[in-house]
Amino acid sequence: MVSIPRTPRAGGQSRRTFLTFLGAGVIGSAALAGCRTEGGGGGGDPTTPAGAVADDLLPAYVPLDYVEPDFPSVNGSTAGFATIPAELVQAFDAPPGSGSTFTAMTPLWGAIPPSTGNQYYEAVNAAIGSTIDFQISDGNTYGDKLAAVLASADDVPDWVCIPTWNIPPRFDQAVESLFEDLTPFLAGEAVNDYPHLANIATDVWKFCVFNGKLKALPFPGEIITDALFYRDDVFEEEGITELPTDAQGLLELCAELTNGERWAANDLWNAAILIHGVVPKWRIEDDGTLTHRIETEEYRAALEWNTALFEQGSVHPDAVADNSGDAKARFEAGQVLLSTDGVGGWHEALARQLSGNPTYSQRPFAPIAADGGTPVLWKGNPANILSFIKATDDKEKVAEMLEVANFLAAPFGTEEYALVNYGVEGVHFDYDGDGLPVATDLATTELQPTYIFLADPPVVNAKVQYPGFVEAFCTWMADASQYVQDPAFFGMQITEPNQFGSLNQPIEDLEKDIARGRKSINDLDAAIETWRSSGGEELRQYYQDILDAQ
Amino acid sequence: MTAPTTAAPATRHVPAAQPPPRPPTYRKVSLRARFKRDRSLIIMTLPAVLLLAVFAYVPMAGNIIAWQDYSPYVGILDSAFIAWDNFGRVLTSPAFLHAVQNTLVITAFQLVFFFPIPIALALLLHSVLTPAIRTTIQSIIYLPHFFSWVLVVTVFQQMFGGAGLVNQILSQNGWGSFDLMTNPDTFLLLITSQSVWKDAGWGIIIFLAALSTVDPALYEASVVDGASRWRRMWHITLPALRPVIILLLILRLGDSLTVGFEQLILQRGAVGAQVSEVIDTFVYYQGVINGDWGFATAAGLMKGVISLLLVLGANKLAHLFGEAGVYKKAGT
Repeated sequence: MVSIPRTPRAGGQSRRTFLTFLGAGVIGSAALAGCRTEGGGGGGDPTTPAGAVADDLLPAYVPLDYVEPDFPSVNGSTAGFATIPAELVQAFDAPPGSGSTFTAMTPLWGAIPPSTGNQYYEAVNAAIGSTIDFQISDGNTYGDKLAAVLASADDVPDWVCIPTWNIPPRFDQAVESLFEDLTPFLAGEAVNDYPHLANIATDVWKFCVFNGKLKALPFPGEIITDALFYRDDVFEEEGITELPTDAQGLLELCAELTNGERWAANDLWNAAILIHGVVPKWRIEDDGTLTHRIETEEYRAALEWNTALFEQGSVHPDAVADNSGDAKARFEAGQVLLSTDGVGGWHEALARQLSGNPTYSQRPFAPIAADGGTPVLWKGNPANILSFIKATDDKEKVAEMLEVANFLAAPFGTEEYALVNYGVEGVHFDYDGDGLPVATDLATTELQPTYIFLADPPVVNAKVQYPGFVEAFCTWMADASQYVQDPAFFGMQITEPNQFGSLNQPIEDLEKDIARGRKSINDLDAAIETWRSSGGEELRQYYQDILDAQ
Repeated sequence: MTAPTTAAPATRHVPAAQPPPRPPTYRKVSLRARFKRDRSLIIMTLPAVLLLAVFAYVPMAGNIIAWQDYSPYVGILDSAFIAWDNFGRVLTSPAFLHAVQNTLVITAFQLVFFFPIPIALALLLHSVLTPAIRTTIQSIIYLPHFFSWVLVVTVFQQMFGGAGLVNQILSQNGWGSFDLMTNPDTFLLLITSQSVWKDAGWGIIIFLAALSTVDPALYEASVVDGASRWRRMWHITLPALRPVIILLLILRLGDSLTVGFEQLILQRGAVGAQVSEVIDTFVYYQGVINGDWGFATAAGLMKGVISLLLVLGANKLAHLFGEAGVYKKAGT
């Protein structure tokens, strides 16, 4: 019942989001169960590696409730806590680990914290009873690093965090040879040894199943993963009160915000996708055929809109030069006032900025539709980030790592959660008059998202250390959740055969080329034709078979 | 390579009274005797040979994956053998041919606009007589060589980017603006100027060394004969540099298909793949990112073969012009 996902897909890296992975779980588990029993026959079909997840693989669900949320979930939106209970529950009497040291590779969208003399690491390692030695990599280029690391088995750390949008090609083979099968440890009632892992819902675990085995630990995700943010503090200062309600209005606002010294926005490709309601990958037509996202009118309209944004000069030149690594820095420094980000990027920005700039503030736009009508948001996966344990013959080591995971998945309301998320009292935070933790300067450098990427409790928002944040976040998402729809193949995890691996690169290049005026929108037709002839049609058939088998 | 020089003294000291000189005698020396004679030389080269063997020749065996549907997760032994399929796909891939074309354009452009610059700089610097000024200039122009490409690209972005220093000054004075960093049409110029800024200073070292070997007496004699500054350069300095220039040119041709992987990948998004995709980035994207390792290896291997042919051809050409080139065959 804690923490929120960081899926910071700034412009540049969204290109790998639809690489090999698709899916999410239908929210009603009754509906799901129905699907699964019916699909049982299809599940045996080797052409449908996706839909079939045997029930006996999945850990039993035993919900834990330490505290009631102040902002309850609406339509599956993220629940929030505005206060910290006076008495925190101590879930562990003694550190669960037995003193081993594990290496772990995690992404980070920010400055990498010091590894020596880091009091946050020291405190958490002491509490879990094992030492985790982090190898942190820049989240913007994490996929590239990951592809190289996984290709060399000796370099694979004990514990590897893999965001779903960074899953490399041939992962079905990688997962088999590189990573431990967790089925014997967690399936069914076995999970009861790890009560905090049993507190994670079944839908989420479905995402951890590869090749018919439970292979990963989930970082539970939110139903809305991305948003277009604006700097409401600067807007207020400059007296901008009217927010746009359609695509044209947004363009006009951008033109208005740009002057010689400042630009309106980073690359807003992700926003273009959001406001045009472009499907994540496929749309199922009424006759049961599949249309790929690049073949849809919405996709074309999104490209045209983004091109117009670039053409009117509203995009910061460094973003035009495709420097996505500094996108957050530009936004937080006020060099641009609009930027897209994962919803988890919001509180990360607050963590970086509030200590130096107490009036810093950013807000997400309420969902808008390009034509001013009803917006469409596509539901996010129940888990966007997974962590894998390296295969080993030492089963006790795996059990110890799962014990650690059990500790890290302790939900809001426990002392363990407070330690992992807020750090050490008096060092990383102090309680203010209202009993809320206030982050210190040291927390800005030391306390970065690290342990949470290895295992995390079911998603809730309990970032109480940022004044007003939980309320703003939960009310925004509760409102936005009314527009959320299930995309095609929702609830399935599909690993595409390797031969389709190279289909995306030309499209991703083209998206940038068209937006920046290096190619025209007319080149899209030729690109779609090439896409179809070089494997797109076969890919469609591949998905069609999965669809028909349902 | 060493055979002719070691054989030469044997023929040179034949007494005049003897019958006509016999053909070179080195063929008569037994292998064992030659080992014994060259023992110390061989021992001295051993570490380098070992280094080459371990880090160059043994890894070459990994090229076998060019004939496989290779997956690193399965391993070389268990990956399927697919004969020449990968090569066939490489040769018929428009993307690969486009990358080759870009590579050749960049390399040709840089051969003309980058290669001569260190020579010119070396000549200029050589004519500066005050040692203090000379070392200061040298240090300043060496320095960028030690910057990584990330820094170089960032410095250029901060200077010439749309939000860079130059554009700020221009727009503050109302002189309009330009964006050098995102214009695909001037990309060749941009990467060449980056290379010049970063590496031209470093490139002069060898030329300066060659210049320092020129006998000053030659200059003095030519001054006495009334040769002008230009005459001295044309008849003394440049001929002295010629073997070095040719040697470096041949080596440069050998790397001509390697045109700055980091530099290009860093700026790929800014100008688009259309102008920035070269063989190296193609191999990286196909192999590491798309997981098509065998295909990428085949592409990389073809690059290696073409480079080898270029070096051999250039060396041959150098011989035709009477230069030593990189190496000569024994007995020629």
